[in-house]
Formats: sequence, C-alpha cells, structure tokens
Amino acid sequence: MLKIDIKEISIKKHTENILLLKNIKFDLSKNKIFTILGKNGTGKSTLIKSITKLLDNNIYKIIAEVLWEGKDVYKVDYEELLKIRANYIKYIFQDAINSFDHFKQFGYYFNKFCKDENEISDLLEYFILPKKEKLFKMYPYEVSGGMAQRISLVLALLTKPKLLILDEPTSGIDSAIANLMLLKLKDFATEKGNSVLLVTQDILFAQKISVEIAMLKDLTLSTFYKTKEFFNKYNSELLLVND
Amino acid sequence: MSKILSINNLIYKVKETNLFTSKEKTILDNISFDINRGEIIGIAGESGSGKTTIAKLITGIISPSSGTIKFELINNSNSVQILFQNTGQILNPFRKIEDIIEEAIKLRKNLPEEIENEKEKIFSSVNFKREYWGNIGSNLSGGQQQRAALARLLAVQPELLILDEPFSAQDFESKKTLVELFKSINEKFNVTLMCISHDLNALRDLCKRVIIMYKGKIVEIGNTKEVLADPSHAYTKYLIKAEKYNLNHSELLERID
Repeated sequence: MLKIDIKEISIKKHTENILLLKNIKFDLSKNKIFTILGKNGTGKSTLIKSITKLLDNNIYKIIAEVLWEGKDVYKVDYEELLKIRANYIKYIFQDAINSFDHFKQFGYYFNKFCKDENEISDLLEYFILPKKEKLFKMYPYEVSGGMAQRISLVLALLTKPKLLILDEPTSGIDSAIANLMLLKLKDFATEKGNSVLLVTQDILFAQKISVEIAMLKDLTLSTFYKTKEFFNKYNSELLLVND
Repeated sequence: MSKILSINNLIYKVKETNLFTSKEKTILDNISFDINRGEIIGIAGESGSGKTTIAKLITGIISPSSGTIKFELINNSNSVQILFQNTGQILNPFRKIEDIIEEAIKLRKNLPEEIENEKEKIFSSVNFKREYWGNIGSNLSGGQQQRAALARLLAVQPELLILDEPFSAQDFESKKTLVELFKSINEKFNVTLMCISHDLNALRDLCKRVIIMYKGKIVEIGNTKEVLADPSHAYTKYLIKAEKYNLNHSELLERID
C-alpha cells in the first residue's frame, strides 16, 4: 500500500547541509503493524513526518519518493495531497495535547469528523473516556496527557484511515493506557486493508504489538524483520527481561 | 547488616480545601520499612501511589503527619542527597559544571589532598567526558545534565542517595548504561541507593530488594527477583502484567478511572 524510498533528508544551513537520514527504503503492506525502534535523536519523528510531506521545505532538503497506492506524495498536486492526509494516512503525535486548539472544545472536532453518534459513544466507552455530553464541552487544558492521546486516537479512528502513524505512543502515559491502545491498534490492523506504523523506544511495547520491526540508527534504517527474528538479531543491544 | 534508615508508621496527610468544605486526604498510610547500609533498594508503583512523597519525607522537604524516620549516619551533614526527576532545573544554567563540582568538593569537612584528582574520579565514575567540563548547565543534553547533577551529589560524599525516576525519558541504550552506572557508584563510593521508578524492568536489574506501593500503602516488600517472579499481592500481579502489556480490556476497565 505504501512504498517509501528516501534518498536523503537534511537540514539546510547557510553554508552546508546537515545530513539526517539517507538511503531508507521500505514497503508497508496491508493488515500489519510495523515498528521502527531507535534511540533519542536518531530521526524517528523526522522519518515519519516525511511520509506525508509534513516537513518544511524551507528548513529541510528532501530527496524522496513516497508512493501511496501508486501516487507519489511528493509529486501530486496540493489538493490531492490534502486528500491523502485527510482520508488515508492519519497521525497521532507524541504531544497529542498540542494537536488541539486550546480555545476550542472537543465537540468541535468530533462534530467535524463524524455524524454517527453511536460510533462515537462506543469508542469513548472503549477508551474509558467521559461520556460525550461531558467530553464535548471540555477544553484541551482540562484533560491529562493520557486522555488527550486517547482522544486523538478516537478522532483518528473515526475518520476511518487506512494507515495510522503513531509517534511514541507510550511516552508519558502509564502502562495501563498504553495497554488499552495496544488492544485497539491490534483490532484496527486486522480490519480490511488497514495498517499501523509506529516509532517508539519502548521495547516491550514493540515486542508485544509488532508484526515486523526495523532499527533506525546511524542515519539509516535496517530492513524490517519479523518480530522474533529482530529480537534474536538485536538482543545484545537491548535491555530485555530474561524470563 | 547495619541499618542506615528505619521508617516507622509513617503517615502523611494533606488538607483539601474547597470554598466551603475541607477534608483530609491520606497520601501515605502507615509506612514502615528499613534500608540497610550499602544496599540498592527500589520503590515501584504507579503514578500517584506516593513514591516521591516518601523521598521528600526522608530528605526533610516535607514533614510527616505522624511516625518516625530514623537515620544512623556516620557524618551528619550532606549525608542524604536526592537526584530529582527534572535534572535540568537543578544545575545552574549559567555556571561551568567544573566549578559547580569543585565548590561541592570544598564543602566537605575533610578536604581531599588533590582536588583535581577527586574531580577526575567523580567525573569519570559518572562517564562525564572532559570535553564537557567547561560547559555551562544549559549547554548540555538531558542525559549529560543528569550525569552532571549526579556528579554534584557524589561530590559531597552522601551515605544515602535517593534517585527519583532516573530512567524516565531515557532511551533503551541509556537505560542499560544507567543501571550499570548506578551499580558501580554503589560499590565505588560506598553509597546506599534508593531508586524510585515505575520501570520494573530496570529495577529488576538494579535492585536487590523492592517495595511495591499502591495508593499510599506498601503492598509488598522483598527480594526483587522473588517478588517479581512470584508476586503475592493482586496489585503486584497487575503491575507485572501491565508492564508487559498483557492485560485484556475487562482487566483494564477495573483500573483506569
């Protein structure tokens, strides 16, 4: 469904460019959960942002080809790009709370994305969030980080995307909430034609959720290995529970 | 084994005042435990279980509502130190790290003969490279700041060092190095460590003994490997399952509010 071929991403400076990522090539297929593991500052977030051309052209120099169902995200016209972003590929960012306008109640977003009241109620209940009558009247500053993250996942799911991209879904939230997200993401990936791509440094989460994992280091990405193979290969580098 | 600290029937309450009502809320409920000299002990539990409150009580930042905290220290000053979670806010952002450490060494009662050697010893034991010695606090990365703050604490020769969530915001590789670093500090400087963390995985590697806290109470205490391999309390079982993301939806429904 998605073919990614990044030749180079670098930051533009006055005299020279700083290379961030190079020679990254991978395909995402349907009904799978893919994980990219990497340390702080290896460029995980930059990599996933480049997928729908979210990086600013004035700051970054990008030589890449990203094919979404055969269309190159970097070549299609702007309207087509917006369509892909709105209908097919959805992000849940690390600081979910800043994805919301602090002067708008949550109701604004829900009414915009979905008309099916029952579907909203079901998802809110699944994620152990307040009832919609209450939640719709709340402002972003009234919810905790974990709640904001769940709300943004609910909103993303309501738009019925084909690919969900999550940036560090477990950071800053306790493991029970992360566990809840894990269950839903697994469900999502089994539905027709859906896939999930996530970047994280939470090894246990990656181990539990992923079908295939790749390691991002030294500016480039390894191939995607089946989860078990990945851990056999990288066992020595990772701090793992030995039981 | 001699004790360095014994805590008995510690209770900590706060008053919650509304416009018209005021009620008491118990944060810590009847906590008792000992820490042996030279050991590494861990405290685990979810956010809000009262882990950091214990650290604040031990260091005297807040005082208990009732109960006793008894130290058996050799020196009486600077002997209990705490490494806070937000290390960036501890270091003076405008002073050279080298100067901060040197000043701290001079606070000791018995000054070492060669301050330069002592500095070298402390910096190398926390893996703080010489090229950064001259940097000011705000010019360091999060990991470097943490190591610099740790060096500052070690410079006053503490007997008990409390680490508050040292692993949060660390990636997997730094986590592993940090565990090794704490172990070596424990041996090299003869300092007792108490490590507060919700990361059972890291505590399993680091600590001989562990305390599991839930809603202000100690629910389990004992040898880390034994407690985590064969937990007796339902909450510990839940915590282990949650850490490995093995819970199902109905188990989660009970816990999240």
